[in-house]
Order: sequence, then C-alpha cells, then structure tokens
Amino acid sequence: MLLATATVQRSAATREPTWLRWLLIGGALAFLGFFLVLPLLSVFAEALRKGWALYWQALVEPDALSALRLTLLVTAVALPLNLVFGVAAAWAIAKFDFKGKSLLITLIDLPFSVSPVVAGLVYVLLFGAQGWFGPWLMAHDIKIIFAIPGIVLATVFITFPFIARELIPLMEAQGTEEEQAAMVLGASGWQMFWRVTLPNIKWGLLYGVILCNARAMGEFGAVSVVSGHIRGLTNTTPLHVEILYNEYNFVAAFACASILALLALLTLAAKTWVEWQAERQRALDARMAMDE
Amino acid sequence: MSIEIQSIAKHFGAFTALDNVNLKVETGELLALLGPSGCGKTTLLRIIAGLETPDAGQIHFHGEDTTDRHVRERQVGFVFQHYALFRHMTVFENVAFGLRVRPKHTRPSDKEIKRRVHELLNLVQLDWLADRYPAQLSGGQRQRIALARALAVEPKVLLLDEPFGALDTKVRKELRRWLKRLHEEVNVTSVFVTHDQEEALEVADRVVVMNKGRIEQVGTPEQVYDTPATPFVYQFLGDVNLFHSRVHGSFTQVGEHPIPNDSAVAYVRPHDIEILREPNQQTLVAAVDHVRTIGSTVRLELRLENGDPVEAELSRDAFALNRYTSGERVYIRPRTARVFAEDFTI
Repeated sequence: MLLATATVQRSAATREPTWLRWLLIGGALAFLGFFLVLPLLSVFAEALRKGWALYWQALVEPDALSALRLTLLVTAVALPLNLVFGVAAAWAIAKFDFKGKSLLITLIDLPFSVSPVVAGLVYVLLFGAQGWFGPWLMAHDIKIIFAIPGIVLATVFITFPFIARELIPLMEAQGTEEEQAAMVLGASGWQMFWRVTLPNIKWGLLYGVILCNARAMGEFGAVSVVSGHIRGLTNTTPLHVEILYNEYNFVAAFACASILALLALLTLAAKTWVEWQAERQRALDARMAMDE
Repeated sequence: MSIEIQSIAKHFGAFTALDNVNLKVETGELLALLGPSGCGKTTLLRIIAGLETPDAGQIHFHGEDTTDRHVRERQVGFVFQHYALFRHMTVFENVAFGLRVRPKHTRPSDKEIKRRVHELLNLVQLDWLADRYPAQLSGGQRQRIALARALAVEPKVLLLDEPFGALDTKVRKELRRWLKRLHEEVNVTSVFVTHDQEEALEVADRVVVMNKGRIEQVGTPEQVYDTPATPFVYQFLGDVNLFHSRVHGSFTQVGEHPIPNDSAVAYVRPHDIEILREPNQQTLVAAVDHVRTIGSTVRLELRLENGDPVEAELSRDAFALNRYTSGERVYIRPRTARVFAEDFTI
C-alpha cells in the first residue's frame, strides 16, 4: 500500500515532461496495434468476409475436422507426457545435487535453441526409411515418420522445456525443508509428493501446462517435416491452414486460422488468471519469508 | 528412550563436519548441543534424525541399532529452524499431517485425529488458531505449531534445530521458559541445537559444547560454566580475561593449581576480578579506563601497566560501595581462576 501511494505521488522533479510521456505511450500503443491487434483482427475479418455460412462450411469440412481432431489428439498425448517428464526433471534438478546437473539444464533448453525444422529432421534421420532405425522399423511394419507417432514425437520434443523451465526456479526457491518435515512425520514418497510438493507448485505447474498446450496445438515447423501432409490423415490444423492458403482458398484458410487464434486467446485468458493466482500465493510466501 | 552416538564421523568434501563423536543422551533428559556455527552441531542432530547419513559410526536408540533405518521409521519429532510448516495447509491440517499419512490399519479415526490435534493445540496454547494458515501467524506462533506438529506422532525422541534462532529476544526468552515447562510435562528425550550459550545454560539439563566437529565438554550448565574443561569452553561460555604467566607472574598462582610453569594462561571471568584500593602480593596494578552501567551490572574497563585490557563486572550494589572513577589507579586480583598450558598455536 505504501509503495503504491509513493508511486502516485512522485514529485514533479523526477517526472518526465508530459509530451514525452505521451510520445512514449503513444509509440508503444501504435506498435502493439500494428503488429498484434491488426493481424489478429484481420484473421477474423478475412475468415468472415464471405459471411457466416461459408465460414461454418469451411470448419465442418471433413479434412478440416480431421485436422482439428489430430491436433487435439497430438496435444492430448504430448501434454501428459511432458507433464510427467517436466515434473520429474524439475524435481531432480531442484531437490538433488548430482554430477552433470548443469548439462541436464542445458539439454532441457535445447528445444528452445534449435530450429523446429532441425528437430523434425532429426526424427526423419532416426526413424525415416533411410534413417538409422528405418530398416528395422520397416521390417516390423512400424510407421513413425509420415504418421501420427512422428507428429507426437516432434511435438513432445518441441514442448519439452515449457513445464520443466517453469518449475525449476519455483522448486529451487521453495527448498526441501517441507519435504523433509513430511518424511520425518512418516509420509511415504508418494504421500510427500501428493500432499506437500504438488500443492506447493500447482500454480506454476498449471502455467507451464497452459504454455505447453498452446505450443503443442500451434507447432508448425517440426510437425511439417515429419507429417507428410496427407490430407485427412496426418494434417494438423496449422498444416491444414497452410495447404488451404497455398490453394488460394483464403476464406477456409482464415476460418481454420481463426480457430487457432481463438484457442490462443483462451490460453491467454487462462494464463492471466493463473498468473494472478500464482502472484497471490507468491505474496503470501513472501510474507512468510519476511516474518522469518 | 536413550540415544547412544558411537564414533560418528561425517565429511562434506574436504570439510570435516564431525570427527569421531561419542555421546549418550539419557532417557527423558533435555540436552543442548552448543557451539559456534560450523561446529557440526546441526549435522549431528540431522544424523540422529536420519536426515543425514554418517560416514562412519552408529546411532543406537535404546540399545537398538538405528543407523540404517529410514527417517520415516525412526519415530522422531524434528523441529526445523525455519519451522517448515506446510504453507498450503491450515494449522489444524499441519498438526494432523503425521496422523493422516499413517497406513490404514494404524491410522486413527477422523474423530480421534480431531481430538488429538485439539489436545496438542491446547498444549501449545494456540487452539484458537486452528483454521489459520502459516502465513497468518507470527514467528513465535509458527514455532509452537511446528512443535505441536512434531509431538502429534508421539515421537520417542524430540529434536529441535535452533528452535528460537529466528525470533526476537523477548519472544525467545518467553519460549525458552515455555519449552522447559513443556518438556517437564511431556518428558520426552529431547536434543536441541543452539549457538546461544545463555539459551543452553538456561534450558538444558545437560550441555554438550562442540567445536570443529568434536565434543569439548559434556556437563550440567553449572559444570560447563564453572569448571570448563578446555580454553575453548571457557571462552565460548561468556566473557573472559586472559593472563599469561610470562607477563603477569603472580596471577597464575592464585588459581586452585598454582603453576610454576612459565608458559601458562589463567582464565578469569569478569565477575571474578576483585578490585581493591590497597595492594598486596597477589595484585596487579591497573588503571580504570571506562565505567559503564548495563542493566543490573556495572562493567569496568581496566588497563594493566603493560597496556593489556581487563574487564571486570560488579553488581550495582557492590559498585555503589566503592564508586571507582575513570582514570583512578586500582589493584586487581582474581577470586578464582583456571589455568591452562599456553597454546602456542595461537
């Protein structure tokens, strides 16, 4: 409270001149409007340009529906996998000391630093017909590249860091004392995790899940390399949008894009709400830390 | 439940935290591990709890080897320095935790848990806080809840790591007395770690003074204060004046063992320095530098002829009889002193 009033009552001596403030704020807003709001609006405007009927038709078209189904399926597989990997990796890094810890942290960041196309190519080189495991896979009639498993693998790879990255600093800050206390009181490893660790990280975890979800649904590059673009079979919604656009079917392309945009907006709303909740908890934690 | 600690050693890399420590904690006693930071006292406590594994040695609980037993099976209560309360649980749930995580066949019924938790909260006089969260409590309240939580599992041994370390002086004093009373009430074998000598002397039945991973002395508070076994114990437990026999010859002969050796040091507490206005054979000449009144005592800073400072302490009443003033020339002599061979390593 004190801080808030202090900001409001900043003296004229430390305030910028009015024209400069307007220039800076106006510049920032113009930039945001031009680069963020305008493209977003144009997606919906283009999608609805020929009326609701065509828009709706483009969405319920079988290939579009199948692309959407595949996108949701891939996300539904990739998200739980990365939830488990992410929590396990963050747990190991934050609560234990071991050799190669910094290497592990670097590796977790790899999907962020490597181009998605390269990530996709790696899987083609590994599992493709001419790849390392290609002949063996062919002999056993297992299809990974140009099939759903490949898309899932590429998506898992790309979205791996989101949850782990979110949890590591949080878990490091919370330390291990509460877990030790639970153990001394007789809790088993599972009880400790479910009753103490998980409730303490739930907001950070949810935040990571939302980001991971958004990326899993929107991933284009890596998926494009491994999918093979088979309509109705291995096309995810982002790939479907590209195909429609290349065919000059703008209304349909923007209609499908608008679904992705809507999902993004929902994600944003959910993310903001989670951030707000997490902030509340952080404030409580900070109060506890300060009292000690 | 007695605890026997046999030849425990622990290293962290090149640092020796504990070096062949042997100790016996008697059933029902309240024992203090006292020492400066880095002396290994917390490591020893965590080894007793099972939170740390020793490199060598054994821990016996009541004659039974528990060295390799998992911490959750040791049935100890542990109070952490920063309390480690579960921040997302209410006070009630914090205290109930140890009962709720028990396997089904030994878990008390909800009704029984409720009764036990309220009984414990009444014991620590905080029943009215049952529905609050830890963040809403003061430091002293959190400390008491942490204690109630540790006691809920009916531990055979209660271990406390710097239990009052994070509290302000006034709350510390209250809680010390309260802990002593609580221990008399529940009478569970308890070990607490502290770096505060006053705390150890006031609360504990016996005090273990530690330094650099070794035990320097074990004894009642009176024993360790009045007859320190080593120079370290003497210096750690309160203020002390040092007199070197090479320099202050007559001084080393007034203690209970007059030492002719010319490389001895006499340790004298400030309140054991007697100040006289007339000289005799055992006195040294000193000048009064400063006189300070601190609460109920008066502290005099004196200076010997060779420039060495000496501190003396008097009660206000004693000072009122003699009213020394700064700059005055006086004669000092120890009422009692302890003489150790001089340590040339210093």
